[in-house]
Amino acid sequence: MKYMILTYASQQDYDGMAGKDTGKPAWKPEDFAAMGAFMEKFNNDLLESGELVETRGLAAPVHTRRLGSKDGVSVVTDGPYAETQEVLAGYWIVECESFDRATEIAARLGDTPAPEFVRATAYADVRPIVEGRDELVE
Amino acid sequence: MTVALEDLLRELAPQVLGALVRRYGHFDTAEDAVQEALLAAAQQWPVEGVPDSPRGWLITVASRRLTDLLRREQARQQREDRVAQWALQGEPVADADDTLVLLFMCCHPSLSPASQIALTLRAVGGLTTTEIARAFLVPEATMTRRITRAKASVKDSGARFTLPADREERLGAVLKVVYLIFNEGYASTAGPSLQRVELAAEGIRLARMLHRLLPDNSEVTGLLALMLLTDARRPARTGPFGELVPMAEQDRSLWIPGLIREGVELITAALPRGPVGPYQLQAAIAAVHDEASSAEETDWAQIVALYEVLLQLTDNPMVALNHVVAVAMARGADAGLELLGTIEGDERIAKDHRLFAVRAHLLEMSGDVTGAKAAYEEAATRTTSLPQQRYLRARAGKL
Repeated sequence: MKYMILTYASQQDYDGMAGKDTGKPAWKPEDFAAMGAFMEKFNNDLLESGELVETRGLAAPVHTRRLGSKDGVSVVTDGPYAETQEVLAGYWIVECESFDRATEIAARLGDTPAPEFVRATAYADVRPIVEGRDELVE
Repeated sequence: MTVALEDLLRELAPQVLGALVRRYGHFDTAEDAVQEALLAAAQQWPVEGVPDSPRGWLITVASRRLTDLLRREQARQQREDRVAQWALQGEPVADADDTLVLLFMCCHPSLSPASQIALTLRAVGGLTTTEIARAFLVPEATMTRRITRAKASVKDSGARFTLPADREERLGAVLKVVYLIFNEGYASTAGPSLQRVELAAEGIRLARMLHRLLPDNSEVTGLLALMLLTDARRPARTGPFGELVPMAEQDRSLWIPGLIREGVELITAALPRGPVGPYQLQAAIAAVHDEASSAEETDWAQIVALYEVLLQLTDNPMVALNHVVAVAMARGADAGLELLGTIEGDERIAKDHRLFAVRAHLLEMSGDVTGAKAAYEEAATRTTSLPQQRYLRARAGKL
């Protein structure tokens, strides 16, 4: 069974990580190093257990292009998100025995080292991946 | 609904629930969703025909129902479970073990035996709440509350979809629940009818299921053998008026040879494999009884020996009492009465009608008519089962 683990961040969070002044405490170099080491181990563990299908991080929300339509005309909007709106920042696709196991994997992300104000509001979602069209068709 | 269709649905029930809980979690809500899917199948399949993949059909319908139920719940209140730490604390689960995991969940140590039984019958046995309530002679509302509370307890206990680390110990609880279901069917604790065949059959069905899942576990095999060897005597156990017929007086030609054969084969295979346990020993004792052509020709010495091994494994006063009976049959009433004197002080059975019934039998054997009469009377006033009361009073009357 496949599950997607999703993490979220706002443009403001990305800016803070990039060292910009956001009115909140800045990330220090050692904060980055600790987070990088943690993620490397997290991903390696999943590779070793054979449960990792894929993992990616996404560029800052400002680089988003949204395609839609307005009054019947195609429209492309650059950077459609508000500064503080939390959007998808990265994901893992894992293949494991149960929802509970996927949740256990995601729960480890709670130990990600980061400045306290970031940790206080961070969260992850786990969602089952649809295996076939049948699951969606009523 | 035909019997074949009902059997199919009940066989699939735990598989479908297992698939759902494995994939989506939410044991409590998923269980409701599966019941609704089973009901839909019971209504639709006889009309529209059984789908190519009955299991797939049920999983699809139950999954959709689960989605609906979760949306309704979440609209009412945000489902937020506080967890100190999310961890499975168990072993990975192979696909085939779904039913086993469900049994462990239903027999969770946070539940009372009555709740474990009710939840097992519903979630693994695929029985409806109405059927379970009828089997236990309680109002449906009572059973609904019991099952709802049990599911909430399992959820609150943080049980995950995994094989628990203390698997052997937890398996003991599962076997006990299955045996209780069987016994409840076999000897009703209250009311006018002595046997409720459906529960006994359900216990055997669950034991067969467990045996398929764990074919190499000797105690599981022993439990199934014990049930079959006991159930083999069912037709002879009650007389034409529903009265209890003790084993010594049963018409052994009524015993079911097929069940005896199967039970003996199972226990013969399990015993040498070991490790030996209480269910295997009880099955071995039942096998010795079942293979004897009469009470007198029973190999009582072997039964005494088996009880003595059993007594080393369990501190069960009923086992001690049965040991007394076997000793009396093997060595005479006086030896039995002497042994009875050593366990009469045990508070757990000091007031039990069965202790007085055994004393009555032994006194009768020894020729003490007055003593036996009084003991039968005493036993009769101490049991709530009407058939047993009638039996005991009839014995007293015959003296």
